[in-house]
Order: sequence, then C-alpha cells, then structure tokens
Amino acid sequence: MPQNANLSDVITLISDIKHGKVFSSYEIALRTENLLEKVISEEKWANAKELMQQIKGKIQQVTQSLPLETTATNIMRHILKVIREECDQVSKKKGEGQSLHQLVTADQSEERDYSESHGDLKNCLLDHLTEYKVELETSTENIAAQALEHIHTKEIILTVGKSNTVEKFLKHAAGQRSFQVIVVEAGPLYHGHKMAASLALSGIQTTVIPDSGVFAMMSRVNKVIIGTHSVMADGGLRAASGVHGVALAAKHYSVPVMVLAHMYKLTPSYVCSHEKDTFKMCASPANIIPYSTGPLLNKINVYNPIFDYVPPELVTLFISHQGGNAPSYVYRLLSELYHPDDYELY
Amino acid sequence: MSIKTKEVLKDDIVQAVVVADTFGDEFLPISSDIPLALFPLINKPLIDYTLEFLSFGGIEETFLFCCSHTEAIKSHINQGIKDGAEWSLTMKVNVIVSESCHSFGDCLRDLDRKGILRGSFVLLEPGTLSNIKLLPIIRKHNEIANKDKGAAMTLIFQESGIGQMGRDPNEEAVVAVNSSNRILFHRKMGQSRERKIEFPLEIFLDNSSVSLHHNLKDTHIAICSPSVLPLFSDNFDFQTKDDFVKGLLMNEEILGSTVYCHITKGNNYGGAVTDWRMYQAVSRELQNKWIYPLQPSVLRNNILKNGVIVGKGVHIKDNKNIINSVIGDNVHIGENVQIRDSFIFSNTKINDGVIVTHSVIGPNCEIKSKTKITVGSIIGKGVTLEKEHLIEDTLVQATEPENCDPKDKLDKKAFRLKVTGTEDDLGKILSKKLSRLHIEDNRPEESDDDAFSDSEDEELSYTQSPVPDDTKLFFTEVIDSLTRGFEDELRCEHLILEINSSRYAYNVTVREVNFNVIKAILHMSLRLSTGPQYFSQFVRLLSYFAPVLKNYIRNDDAMLDTLQAVEDVAISNENVNEKWVMFVLKWFYDKDYISEDVILEWSKTLDAKSRFYAQVKPFTDWLEEAEEASSSDED
Repeated sequence: MPQNANLSDVITLISDIKHGKVFSSYEIALRTENLLEKVISEEKWANAKELMQQIKGKIQQVTQSLPLETTATNIMRHILKVIREECDQVSKKKGEGQSLHQLVTADQSEERDYSESHGDLKNCLLDHLTEYKVELETSTENIAAQALEHIHTKEIILTVGKSNTVEKFLKHAAGQRSFQVIVVEAGPLYHGHKMAASLALSGIQTTVIPDSGVFAMMSRVNKVIIGTHSVMADGGLRAASGVHGVALAAKHYSVPVMVLAHMYKLTPSYVCSHEKDTFKMCASPANIIPYSTGPLLNKINVYNPIFDYVPPELVTLFISHQGGNAPSYVYRLLSELYHPDDYELY
Repeated sequence: MSIKTKEVLKDDIVQAVVVADTFGDEFLPISSDIPLALFPLINKPLIDYTLEFLSFGGIEETFLFCCSHTEAIKSHINQGIKDGAEWSLTMKVNVIVSESCHSFGDCLRDLDRKGILRGSFVLLEPGTLSNIKLLPIIRKHNEIANKDKGAAMTLIFQESGIGQMGRDPNEEAVVAVNSSNRILFHRKMGQSRERKIEFPLEIFLDNSSVSLHHNLKDTHIAICSPSVLPLFSDNFDFQTKDDFVKGLLMNEEILGSTVYCHITKGNNYGGAVTDWRMYQAVSRELQNKWIYPLQPSVLRNNILKNGVIVGKGVHIKDNKNIINSVIGDNVHIGENVQIRDSFIFSNTKINDGVIVTHSVIGPNCEIKSKTKITVGSIIGKGVTLEKEHLIEDTLVQATEPENCDPKDKLDKKAFRLKVTGTEDDLGKILSKKLSRLHIEDNRPEESDDDAFSDSEDEELSYTQSPVPDDTKLFFTEVIDSLTRGFEDELRCEHLILEINSSRYAYNVTVREVNFNVIKAILHMSLRLSTGPQYFSQFVRLLSYFAPVLKNYIRNDDAMLDTLQAVEDVAISNENVNEKWVMFVLKWFYDKDYISEDVILEWSKTLDAKSRFYAQVKPFTDWLEEAEEASSSDED
C-alpha cells in the first residue's frame, strides 16, 4: 500500500510527459531531481534498503509506461549509486577504508546489507542531491564553455535538426570566432528550420540543406556536431531519425562527429535489450503521406520511425560537462555513474 | 474584450460529454452482452481510448452517459480510477445513468434538465477515437461565438480521400462552407442513391466565397455552445446529431443558430466506431499508428508476423495461416486453422481445421472442428458451434431469439439471428454491405455498381459526346457553307471567303484547311443518291467547286492533303468501293490538280495490306504504265 501511494508522484510525472507539459530532457531531469528530493526528505524510510526499494519501484513504473524515457530512470539509477556509496563510506569509516588489496580480493557475491540505519544518511543524501542539482543546472553551460576548444575560425560545422545543447554550444563559440553552420532539415518534422532561424538571429552564417544533400555537402564540412536522445552502453547513439545517414556520410569523408551529451543521457542498456519496441517506435504516418491520399492507404503500411541507432564506430567524441571522451570509454563512465546491480531493473 | 474572455475561460473548466450507447442494432449480437463502450479494440476497451484522447486534449471533466449495461461501465471506470489510469489524473469522469433514454437526442435533453454543463463543451458520439488537441479548437469556437451570437456548434472534420477504408461510405458528406467557416449546406449522402445534389442558390448569392467539400470525414466530435442543449429540448424530433445539424441549417432564420466547421490537417485524426466496418477500419488505423499517440498497448499485446496482434495467454498450435487478425486474451487455437482479417475476442476456443475469414467471434465461444465462418459473420458471446457448419454472412447468438424459426437453430447454443429493417430490400442489402466487415478492395466497387447502375448509364451518355474541338467545328462549318453554296448556286469566290473567315475564327492551319475542304466536298458526294446517275452528279458537283479546288490545291503539300482526305473518307466509309476511289483519283489527275509524281509517292506510303491500298493499286499501276509509255514516247 505505501508502495502505491509513492507511485502517485511518478504517475504524475509520467502523465505530464505524455501530455507534453514537460518536453525537453533538461526539464524532465529537473523534475525527476525534485521528485527524488521529496522522496528522500518527506517519505518514510527506515534504512537505505527500503529507500532503494522505493526508488526501484519508481524506475519500474516509468520503464513500463514510457520505455523510452531514459532521462528519468538514469537519474534515479544514479541516486541509487549515490546511496550505495554513502552507505559504503559510512560503514567503511568504522573500518580502515578500502585498501587496494581489499578491492582486488573483494567478493562480488558478498551481499551488502544496507539495512543498517544511519542518522545522517538523509542529510548526506540531501547534500549530494543539492550538488547534483547544481551540476544539472550548469551542465549545459559547461558543455557550451568547451566550444572554443572545438570550433575554430572559418570552419564549416554541420548539425542535424534542433538541439538546445548544440544551439548554446554554437552560440557561445560565435561570440568569439566566426564560422559557418550548415543545418540539415531533418524531415519529416523539419525541426532544422527552427534551429537555423535561431542561429541566424544570433548572427551566425547559416545554411539549411535537405536531408538528401548531406552526402554532397559532407566533403566541405570540417566537423559534425550533433545532440542525441540517449547514449547506449556500447557507445552507440539513440538519436533522431536521419542521424545515422549523416554519420555514415561523415565516416566516408573522415569528418569527425562530435556528440554533445549530458551525463544523464548515458543509458546502461544495449540496442537489442529487453525494451522490445524502442527502436521500432513509430510516430503517425500522416507526416509522411497525408490521410487524404485515398484508397492507396488501404494497401500499404507506412512506417515513420522516431529514432535511429548510430553504431559507436561512427562517433568520434562525446562531449559532456566534464570534458571529451571516446566512445570506447563509455563503459567506464557508466560504471562511475551506476552500480552494476542497477543496470537491469525490469 | 480579450481580458473578459480570459476571465471567462479561467472560470470554466473544460467539459466533455460522451454518449456511450449507439441505440441501434449495428453490433448485435455482441452488443446484447457487452456495451459498445467496453468493446475490445486491440484488447483494450473502447472507452479507455476515448478517455485517453479527452485527457490529452485538455478536458478536465467528462460526463459519460450510459443507458444500458450501466453497472459494467461504472465498475470499469471505478477500476480505472483505482488503478491510477492516466486519464484519471487530469480528468474527472462522472457516469450518468438514464435507463429511459432511447436516442442521442433523449440523452442531451436529459442533460439539459440536469443543468450540469456550463459554457462550451465537447460532444462526442459513441465510439469516438481521436488524437486532436481540443483546447485550441474550443478557444476558436469561443471567439466565433463572441462574434456571432447564434453560433451553436463547431463540427470537426478530417480531410480524407474517397475509397479509403477509414472513410465510412454510409457517411459521405458534402459540405459547403463560406470564408469564415460557417456551414452553409450539409448533406450526408449515405445510403441515398441520388447522384445529383441541388444546392440552394441563396448560399452562392449571399456569400462572396463558398468552398464545396467532398473530401471530408466526420470525426463525430463537436464543440457545442451552451445553447445546444436547450435547442435539443425545444425540438423533440432531433434524435441524432445529424438531425440537429440538418434542422439548424434548414431553419436558420427561425432558430437563428448557425453551425461552423473546423477542418483538421496534418496528423490529426478523428473517427468513430459506428458499425463493424468502421470497427475494422479504426482497428487497422490504430495498429498503423494513424492515431498516434493513441496506440495498442505494448505491454498487453504481442505483434506477430502478417499483421496479427495477440493478447496474453494465447495458445496457437501453428500460426502460418493467421493473417491480419486481432486475437484476444486466453484464446486457444488448434491445428490447421485459417484465420484471415478477423477479430477473435477473449476466452474463445477454436478447434482444428476451422476457417474464419472476415468475421468476428465473440468472447467465451467454442468453435468445434472444421467449421467455416466467413463473409462478415458475427458470432455472439458464449456460442458453441458443433462440427462442420458453414456460417456465411450471418449473425449467431447463444440464446434463442424471439420468433425463432426451427431452421434457425444451429445447435443447442447457437441460433441464427435475423435483424429486420424497415427499408426496401435493395436499401437493406446495400446498407448491410456497407456496414459489415470490409471484404476486399474490389468488392465494394462491385456492390456500388449493382446499386448505382442506372445513374451510371446516365453518366455515360452524358460523357459520350466529347467536347468538340475547333477543327471539327471548322469542318462542320465548311460542309454547311459548301452545301448551302451548292444548293443556292452561290458564287465560288464567296464560298472561298466564307471558308477563309471560318479558318481564322477557329485558328486552323493552312494544311488542315486544305484537308478539310476536300474532305467536305467528298462527303457531300457521298450524300448524293446512288444509282446510274451517281457519277454524272458527282462530276457536276466537282466541276461546280472547281474554283474552290483551284484556290486551295496549289502546291505539292496541298496535293498530299487532298490525297489524305480521299484516304480518310474512303477508310471511314465502308460503302465506298474501288470504283469511287478510282474515279476520284482519275478526275483529280485529269484535271491536273494532282500530279502523278505526288500520287505515286503517296501510294508508296500506304499500308500494303489495307483495303484502301487494294483500291488504289489499279490506278497507280495504270499511272506507272502510262508514265513508262509517255517517257518511252519522249525517248
């Protein structure tokens, strides 16, 4: 019963996401963080184990209703890791701290018993959460601050569709360097148009090209800078439909592909994972072939996929608020963010 | 003004009214056990989709009107609220029960008496699914209502092509709309067999721009002003929403109310399950994501190959013959079963060797071996069919219906159900064809032909006389001039003048003039009476027109045109025999209008196998001999 009561806040969050009241991943991240703060400070939990159970329940609820909403689940997983770390630290204070020998000979099957209660666990967690919140809020600026290292004068940058992170990145660099941007339209929703308009307003020289022109223009491009929906555990991307083609063209011309990704976008799941329909998620075909077409529609099936998978070989660099990383390093970042026991929570 | 509307909007919660019953017998016999609202559409009750749509659209309070199976619907809604279904978070659902209502209009009159609706509200007919965002449309309706005090309703239409499965042939609508989206004319063609529509002239005279739409599909969603309910109460003959719209448009001056329309574009979809065909269409569209973000629940359903969706707990021995069907929970399917384009509801057992095509099998049924269920049959709840029945285009229910014939009893738990209609036979057959499950794409066109054959003949005769083009007009004029000239003995110079002016009027090229003039003269010759005097008359005719011929046949090209005219006339008239062709050619040759070189060249271009060539050959042979003779003479 207390389980059900706790799920109501998650259900509200899910419903808001579905209704489109919270849209960008940044907003979802902030909402999740608020939710976790409330859980830790207001809900009743006796020890770390109970708290973790509650959070796991929430993760399951979100995964069931919105299998694609990895932002919320990733942040919750990170909090689980933080809880475990705090417990470890407190219990290790009683001992001598983990020596190298202990790390090497540590038995994986040792079940950490998290059922000891700690008085100041709550305060530690809340402190951590405040730090994390600050980190979240400043992550976009931190990424943008690295722009000057990557964008040089007179370069031609290619980007696909609309991404808030990429926009801020480019605008930051435009303050001090002059360069050109080519924006790919990204059908069938053509978000690239809005991106181009916004960039042009800040004085960046922008060109819009259709999706079919990517290969032709790629030989002139110096760098490809894109955002993504999430980063898979192998270093591949789950990005908007059409990005795979751009990445392939870039590979052909050996143009570096840089992906701007916040830490909460790193997902501990792979492509052929348990979430059955993630890459087959399709939106309404009316964006491609209108409903008014007539009897042709009785005979055909139209698919309008939302996401693309980009394999890790096609990505050159991941830029997060901590700096740049190669795709082959993603597994290490994952192990720092999440505890292996929390990878699969279905 | 805008501040006032903002205040008004803040006070009003957006409300919606959903009428849950169809009040008809379209869904018998399954609707005698399950209300339409709880019909499974890809294994989820229909009402869940409707409520999801309303909550996405921004509605905050819904009134669900039920008239039958009210307990089942109420418990389902309460279960949903307890389970924390998504729609329950942002929307309050009130179930209103009224056992005495017998039609859509009665429900609205009841609502009017209760007085629970404030402001504009959304009205949904039973079985409506959609993904339209309602708030902007409601706002637009309120703005229109501020300008036009009589604005009663905004109907929402979706652009849809003819022949598409989702467009109900019973609801073909023709709508005339003016530039401010007010509906001037609205007619549902439906089952009426008339192919001509008469528009009242006033709608064109009174409005500066009128657009006629035949590409619209009724989404069964309407935004209503508060005046709609009193209008229903005042007019007791308004039974359905269509009556209401028709009544309002007919009596615009008396009632002073107007109806507006909103045509949605892009990926907005709206449709209702009004009969089995629409059930099939909406199910197909839901599967194909046209109603995104409404979609079949991924958790409860598994998608197999060949477009088959199955629910939980389904056992299928061999699924290679199952195509394009939806199978509910806990269904057991045996070996060698063929299921095509069908719907099988939950807890049914289908034994070996059964063939089910284009049919619906209700819940808790048992179909024993080797039965064949085809062509739009509907099997009700709890029916048991013993071996080897052939069920075609029939309704079967488990309990004995009233006035049952002994031959209608198929088994102890299966009875054939006859649904009586009041229309004439053809109308009934047509409506039945249109409302049962869609069989193939070819079939509906055939059935259209049966029903509409007489009017189709009319159409054909209408289009058989094509719009004459200018050359033909010119030709007829030339023939007229020449005939008149010959009869009245007019001077040829005047005839030439007439022909030339016609030529400029119809913008005909020089060569075509030559061709047509010769053709005309030859045609005239064909009209002469046959007999021994024929050729002398012919000669007279030709000599009379000698100045005309001289004027037009002046160079080689003209000669070729003349020959082509001869060919044309000879080929198009079968009575023309060799003698005539020879005569014509010889006359032209003798009078030196056409030179032998041109004739010989032309004859080479003719098709060797044609009859005409055979007719021309003797003349060309004679010419060649004459040539040789003359050239040898010269030598």
